[in-house]
Amino acid sequence: MADALERITNLVALLMATRSPLTQEQIANELAGQYPEGDAAQRGAFERDKALLREIGVPIESEVLGGSDAGKTAYRIDRGRYELSDLHLQADERAALQLAVAAARLADAQFGLLKLGGERSSSPVVIANIPDLPALPVLREATASRAEVSFDYRGTTRSLHPYSLLLRERYWYVIGHDLGHGEVRTYRVDRIEGSVTVGATHAFERPAGFDPRATFPLDPKLIGDEPTARAEVLVDAPRAEMVVRELGDDAVLSRRPDGSVVVEVPCANLDAFRSWLFGLGAHAEVLSPADVRDDVVRWVTALAGSR
Amino acid sequence: MSARRGPRPTIDRVRRLLVMLPWLMERGEVTVAEAAARFELSEQDLVRDLELAAMCGLPPFVDEMVDVFIDEGVIFTGVPRLFTKPLRLTAPEGFALLAAARVAMEIPGGESDGALARALAKLATALGDDGLVVETPAPALAELVTSAADEGARLHITYWSAHTDLRREREISPRVVFVDRGSWYVIADDHLSGEERTFRIDRIERAERTGIIDTAREVSAPAIDSWFADADLPTAVLHVPASGKWVAERYPTTSVVPDGEGWRIEVTVASEGWLRELLLRLGAQATVVSPPEWSGLGAEAAAELLSRYEASRA
Repeated sequence: MADALERITNLVALLMATRSPLTQEQIANELAGQYPEGDAAQRGAFERDKALLREIGVPIESEVLGGSDAGKTAYRIDRGRYELSDLHLQADERAALQLAVAAARLADAQFGLLKLGGERSSSPVVIANIPDLPALPVLREATASRAEVSFDYRGTTRSLHPYSLLLRERYWYVIGHDLGHGEVRTYRVDRIEGSVTVGATHAFERPAGFDPRATFPLDPKLIGDEPTARAEVLVDAPRAEMVVRELGDDAVLSRRPDGSVVVEVPCANLDAFRSWLFGLGAHAEVLSPADVRDDVVRWVTALAGSR
Repeated sequence: MSARRGPRPTIDRVRRLLVMLPWLMERGEVTVAEAAARFELSEQDLVRDLELAAMCGLPPFVDEMVDVFIDEGVIFTGVPRLFTKPLRLTAPEGFALLAAARVAMEIPGGESDGALARALAKLATALGDDGLVVETPAPALAELVTSAADEGARLHITYWSAHTDLRREREISPRVVFVDRGSWYVIADDHLSGEERTFRIDRIERAERTGIIDTAREVSAPAIDSWFADADLPTAVLHVPASGKWVAERYPTTSVVPDGEGWRIEVTVASEGWLRELLLRLGAQATVVSPPEWSGLGAEAAAELLSRYEASRA
């Protein structure tokens, strides 16, 4: 029997060259001696080859025949859909893409680059670790082709017209019009349970000028009923410069001679606010408003008494 | 690349062959060594697969399908009627290329002359307008640190260390900058300790060039999620309520299992100071299961902070 590489290459060539779709029997006849004898063994080998080719992205089309072959499935490959269309990348564009791919270190990007005529670049000075999730390519294609998607999220099936994907800090989000809720919603891609189902393409229009960054604030401390709520926080000298750099000079209410600063910090979301505050350990203290200060004192008192 | 053992899987051989053939056809004549390096194959594997491909053929064009022969280390390839173009990009390849290009657009120095933007526009046209946005806001000093790494320039910095809770002046020679979980880091030769150290760029308060240029030294950045694991750091087992699951999403862990109503999470402890802050955030409903010497750490941190509030009540 032939090496699998030879058989599969011949199979691709045959399905691309044929004018009319071929059934499994016809394929085995054309590739005489390359598939095993016997119905079950032949079917098994053919199914494995087909699955392998689909996994690497070869678009094998199938149709169920009528007439004398009624009920049989026949296959072919449309050469136009198989072949990469030339992107006409200039040398400097290809080089820039090579550097980008080297920085991201995603195996799929490296292989895609080979197809585009690029090559592996030597180690770049900046490396970006991009979270990679199996749902992302599917969601990207659905977004680009305007296809409805549905997936399970926190135990409920959601249906979405996906407008955009956003990588913010460490998470990927999919943002779109939620058909069940009738409004724009944001979902964390890593929290999607199971696989994503994709519906028909051209199912919707994305609103003109849609910007995913505007759908929810970057700062979780701002998410709450009173987005303008602010707390005054005293930060000791060792952490003062870093906090000022993080919040900006506009947030500084006063600077004290010992190097500490009083800053204004959003506190619409108390959980997010406490999380930020405790990141400064004992180097920060809420001065006002009283209810926020009391909340922090209650939280710390409960923990101090837990031993 | 690590050494491979055993036969290569068929899927990998087919995938590579379908991108290799059109590349060879376009060139006509290329050395085995060059092709092997480009496609990351041993010369032996490459020759074997090409010789097999040369045997491929179907009636009525038995000899026209793949026209390859290899002589004295050179591959000669004719242009027959099939396999003249690579297989189209798959969904994962398209996603990864677009994501990589968009991340690179956000990196200081990643885009200088517009070439990347043009490449990205061509990719987006071919793969569809997906509205994908990448946000990796770089801290103020990222640009200086990156160019220093590029040039081998030594910097004088003021750095706050979470480990010691101290600010110190030091000289560092940045080697490689990396972005992980939304934070920017630099791996550098630290001339204070004489060791290679990793610094968070947003914790560098001040940085200026010393004028010293150090000899280049190649350093590879750690893979995603693995770099704490390499550092041989202690771990702590925590019990957290259901609402405390974010700990596992945010920090490197070695195990996460359901535990009653909540979770039992083993976290890598970068420093005791970090664990104190984590326990403050989690509050009274979280406990340290092990090691025992940290079981009172949260209460201790809370008591210290509480005394500060009590002292200033007046």
